[in-house]
Amino acid sequence: MIHFLASFAAVLLVQQPAQADSIQPRTIAIDEAFAAAAGLRVGDRLTLSASPGSDASAGEPVIVGAIFERSADPSEIARGDFRARLHLDQLQRISGYGDRVDRFAIATTDSGDIGRVLDQVNRQAFGFRAYRSRDIAVETSRTFLVVSRFHRAIGVITIVASSVFLLCIMVLKVDERRRDIAALRLMGISRASVVQSIVIEAGLVAVLGSMLGVLIGWATSLFVNAHYQAVYQTPLEFSILTGPIIAFAVSLSLILGIAAGLAASWRLVRAPPLALFGR
Amino acid sequence: MSRVVVALKDVKRDYPLGRESVHALQGVTLEIAAGDYVAIVGPSGCGKSTLLNLIGVIDKPTAGTVSIEGKRVDGMSDREATTFRLRTIGFVFQRFYLLPILSAVENVSLPMAEARVPAAERAERAAKLLEYVGLSERLNHRPSELSGGEQQRVAIARALANKPSLLLADEPTGELDAHTGAEIISLFRRLNDDGTTIVVVTHDEELATAARRQIHMRDGRIVGDAFEI
Amino acid sequence: MRISLAWASLIRHRSRTLLAVLGVAIAAAMLLDMVMLASGMRESFRELLMSRGFEVRLAPKGTLPFDTDASIPNVNAVIATLRANPDIEAISPVMGASIHVPVNGRNVSSATLGIDPSVQGDYELLEGADVKDGDALVANDHLLGELGARIGDTLDVATGYDPQTRSYTGQRKLVLSGRVRFIYGAAQQPASAMQRETLESMVEPERRNRASLFMVRLQKGSDSEAVRSWIAEQLPNVTAISIATAIAQVDQRLSYFRQLAFILGAVSLFVGFLLVTTLVTVSVNERSGEIAVMRAIGVSRAHVVQQIVVEGVAISAAGALVGLGLGLVTARYLNTILSAFPGLPMAIDFFLFQPRAAWSALGLLVASGIAAGIYPAWRAASLPIAESLRRDAIA
Repeated sequence: MIHFLASFAAVLLVQQPAQADSIQPRTIAIDEAFAAAAGLRVGDRLTLSASPGSDASAGEPVIVGAIFERSADPSEIARGDFRARLHLDQLQRISGYGDRVDRFAIATTDSGDIGRVLDQVNRQAFGFRAYRSRDIAVETSRTFLVVSRFHRAIGVITIVASSVFLLCIMVLKVDERRRDIAALRLMGISRASVVQSIVIEAGLVAVLGSMLGVLIGWATSLFVNAHYQAVYQTPLEFSILTGPIIAFAVSLSLILGIAAGLAASWRLVRAPPLALFGR
Repeated sequence: MSRVVVALKDVKRDYPLGRESVHALQGVTLEIAAGDYVAIVGPSGCGKSTLLNLIGVIDKPTAGTVSIEGKRVDGMSDREATTFRLRTIGFVFQRFYLLPILSAVENVSLPMAEARVPAAERAERAAKLLEYVGLSERLNHRPSELSGGEQQRVAIARALANKPSLLLADEPTGELDAHTGAEIISLFRRLNDDGTTIVVVTHDEELATAARRQIHMRDGRIVGDAFEI
Repeated sequence: MRISLAWASLIRHRSRTLLAVLGVAIAAAMLLDMVMLASGMRESFRELLMSRGFEVRLAPKGTLPFDTDASIPNVNAVIATLRANPDIEAISPVMGASIHVPVNGRNVSSATLGIDPSVQGDYELLEGADVKDGDALVANDHLLGELGARIGDTLDVATGYDPQTRSYTGQRKLVLSGRVRFIYGAAQQPASAMQRETLESMVEPERRNRASLFMVRLQKGSDSEAVRSWIAEQLPNVTAISIATAIAQVDQRLSYFRQLAFILGAVSLFVGFLLVTTLVTVSVNERSGEIAVMRAIGVSRAHVVQQIVVEGVAISAAGALVGLGLGLVTARYLNTILSAFPGLPMAIDFFLFQPRAAWSALGLLVASGIAAGIYPAWRAASLPIAESLRRDAIA
């Protein structure tokens, strides 16, 4: 409740009279998106109310004390919400929530004590339960999990598709050299040597290609992050290129390239050389 | 006086080779009459294939004029030259160049299909041509199922498909054994006896001797022109 | 003859052709999926919103319907204000809450809607009767399953749970009168509905005379945007959302998927193009001698190009057809993943098959097959004939 009110408390921008009010306005903090959308700066005076559409006299005067950056929470992406932070007692009063909160966040002095603290609290709790923050985060980031699964599925499909494309093109390009292969075989070069040379070539092409691909991926990653961070006004990183990811991509390309070269060349060396000449 | 079918006047053909030029033909003047059977002979690189290509309108001279059936062909556009070749010239190659995916009768029909001859007519004519060249038993065979000599005979039938004024052959016996070559030579003789104007380029002495006129070339020039006695 | 030549050419290298068709089919499948994704959500959502004919929705200021726990006060005053507009035909106030039903020593919780059965647009009755009186309750299959209840059963229903005192603000016996399907219900979510007055009597006093949402049906031919603007003026404490606005807002939230769809779709098209170009290029390079001979015997350049292009088109068309089937299967799988979005109405499909869009996409792939074949074919057909023959003889 407090959470949503923090998000959606209507803010009326009114010119406060120059003379001092009898109540000293308290400070609030607003997020960057809110500040940008409403054209607010630190020091601006506002009227805060829990009822949208009500006039300025029905609210409380506040001053923008700070503008904060939103956290990198994937579940908040694209919601277009604004966030404000108030002093707890002020929000409780304005919202009529009374002496209530939605949750307490507890920091322990030593991470090893977390389990003990949990047990202690839950043993004594009346009407509430304690959870590890990590467990709550998993539960509340289902959106993110769904997107993750989707990305993974697209990734698998892309890998399968790329394998087929690679095999296709490799077969075509090796096929183009059927006469060269036939000539080599007629000269007495063994099947194994011919296959080896094509596989080495395919491997080299795969390594070079995947290095180029990593470069392109890195540049694309930079662009994607810059673009979506600007669009969604978030510090969240949408694309991260790590060492293991690069190693996986290069290894997979190499394996697929070699496999495709092997399949393509073996197809041709199996045929009698004269057949490759079309006789 | 026989009608002139082929007339070349001071024809030159140069090919660039790096910074220099190769002078494949150095001023050739030549006339071939209707019904002639001409063999162009000479050592390798003397320009005989180049000469044949110019007569066949598949190449253009660097200088000089080429006329076929009284028509200037050296300045034709690609489209005009293609249509001209289709209807006026029949070409036979050393390597046969039959389409391996088509049967004998389909290979012979191909130029007629391009000339929009109705299907029934072209099927009939193709069969007749194959019968003429002695392959009536092989109509539906693919090139891979035919011997070298049989393939060359199909190629000859294909060259005759649109009743050309001129039949050109570049080393037609080049890939054939002596016995098969002799069959082809005999076929050419028969064709000429039946009125076809033939120009062959050849290293084959037998084929050259079978022709009624021999043109000797060396270094891009005609050095001899002898008629059969 | 050109088509039979093209066909013969393709079956000459059967495995190569099949592999190329498979490659194009995969590109076609991905392209189709991305086209379905790009427009699926919007169309699916539009169909959902239009399904009951309510063109405008009112939610608490700054929120989307049921996005938060916020509610609109003074229901009767709002209804009276809305009734002043002659373009408004019907008004359906909806109140959202949670109910709890004790079953075998545990509490089964469910989202519940307080509605006016004469104008409700949230569910369709599958079996039994609607909530005709104040003691009736309708439920979906999930809730019925969890309760192990049937139509006609009487349930102890409570609401307004206070975790501190473990007590409820309201409890009542309600009779299960019907089995329903909630149109906007999320997958696997137990849900129920009762008359709004019944629910109001059970919640905390401060929650009475408040609605989570108003659905407004307009007279035929009314301008929904004009009514929406009028409502926004008359009721500044609500956000009035027309179908177009709602779709635009959902679009904005799910814009990531549209952009992804566009990028992956473009990549698929490019890859399909690349495959066909490669195949045609290899094919004409192998046949340069044949092509030169065809030109030598009098086949025009245009006809040579046509024959080669027909080969490219044949592969693209075959690939597109296979890709259609493959794409539909993959789309179903991907849709299952995305349908697990929390709170997403079950009826929303991310991947929606729209014949016109699908055929356009596949048509585009076939057209790219034509374009892919033209350049290598034209190049091959334009090579000097004598030169090609000589090169082929040497080779």
